[in-house]
Amino acid sequence: MSGFAAVLRKDLRLELRSGESTLALLALSMLVLVVLVFALGAARVRSVDAAAGALWVAMVFAGMLGANRALLAERDNGAIRGLLLSPLDPSTLYAAKLCAAFIFMAVAEVGAVILMVLFFNLDFDASMARLAPILVLGAIGFSALATLLSAITGRTRGGDMLLPILVVPIFVPALIAGVKASAAALSGAPFESMGDWLKIMIAFDVLFVTAGYLLFEHVVGGD
Amino acid sequence: MSAPVVEIRNLEKTYGLAFVLREVQLRLLAGAGAFIIGGNGAGKSTLLRILAGLEAPSGGHALVFGQDTRRLAARYRRRIGLMAHQSFLYPNLTARENLEFYAELYSLADPRECAHQWLGRVGLAEVADTRVRAFSRGMEQRLSAARAMLAEPALLLLDEPFASLDHDGAEIVAALIRGAVERGACVLATTHGIPEIDGVELAVFEISRGRLMQHAHKEEGRRGGRIRSLLGR
Repeated sequence: MSGFAAVLRKDLRLELRSGESTLALLALSMLVLVVLVFALGAARVRSVDAAAGALWVAMVFAGMLGANRALLAERDNGAIRGLLLSPLDPSTLYAAKLCAAFIFMAVAEVGAVILMVLFFNLDFDASMARLAPILVLGAIGFSALATLLSAITGRTRGGDMLLPILVVPIFVPALIAGVKASAAALSGAPFESMGDWLKIMIAFDVLFVTAGYLLFEHVVGGD
Repeated sequence: MSAPVVEIRNLEKTYGLAFVLREVQLRLLAGAGAFIIGGNGAGKSTLLRILAGLEAPSGGHALVFGQDTRRLAARYRRRIGLMAHQSFLYPNLTARENLEFYAELYSLADPRECAHQWLGRVGLAEVADTRVRAFSRGMEQRLSAARAMLAEPALLLLDEPFASLDHDGAEIVAALIRGAVERGACVLATTHGIPEIDGVELAVFEISRGRLMQHAHKEEGRRGGRIRSLLGR
């Protein structure tokens, strides 16, 4: 547990000190939302479907950026080797990295939701609270998948380019479920109507958190 | 007779078709100090990485504490300290934060106090709260030595420990190596030349064309005229 806490605390400290990931995530979210608002035009700007879609596009782009950075700090000065040589269990390292990525993404999501409400002329009401579990599930799934895959792509030449190619297609089921569930939440539909979408997201999260926990030691390496 | 800390049998390492190490044999006991000399690309660093479990051999066996380095459990990894070309330090953390972080990873009793002591030992107490990215290469090397020795490992693997160090820095690292050998640790270091470390009898090996050969005594290497003391003494 102390190893988990040490890695998580170190990652948060590095992020608080530089703010690189969170600021980049927020800036990218804002850019995507602004472009989509103008692209969709005034007629669709109050559409919850469009807002939900725009929010998830922003999240995926921002999450990708965050995922690329997840293990970047560990590649500087070969710090990943120091971690692998330490008594820290690789699956604990994965759990700490996943947790840190989730926190960065959650902060970016809060910013993205605020921007979405402003740009799409939505109301701050109870529907926003209904978005919370959907976004949390989406962030867990995306962070789990991206942390695992960034351990692979980080070892390859041009890995930054490879990560989106690998992550987005695999994330599609959770992405569709997230967009549909978010649209339902924003339109005020009953919670039961989102049930099936949420089940897909939960299944995706369980699958990739488990896969990451079990496989991380085989994919992370010193080089 | 005590079990060897390091035992290498017929070790081979290839990158593609190129042999880096071939038929390497080595056996080191606790309290032994050994240096491996050799030119650039001779395979010295590769050998240390294999012993640390960070790289798999292509053939043969590398055993540390009797365990195959391909599958070193946490309780054996914690007994190995590696000082490599890369410092394993985080540039945006201070020297103190870096050592505290590694002390926590190794579950040391009082990470703060431990970091404080080691910063003093490597002469970096005054810059304890300076970020590592502001350090010179020599200061980073000293901090890297402290990081590798923080948990007082039973096996210390040092890859060119005197590189980039000034005279004082080299003296400090030499004293740390002497201290490690005196407390019974096995120290295996690589270097381009044989350093003198007072009070420590060093075995000297040379890697040439991937093969490891032992010099009868360190003086033999020095008489050969090819090797210069890195400590300048």
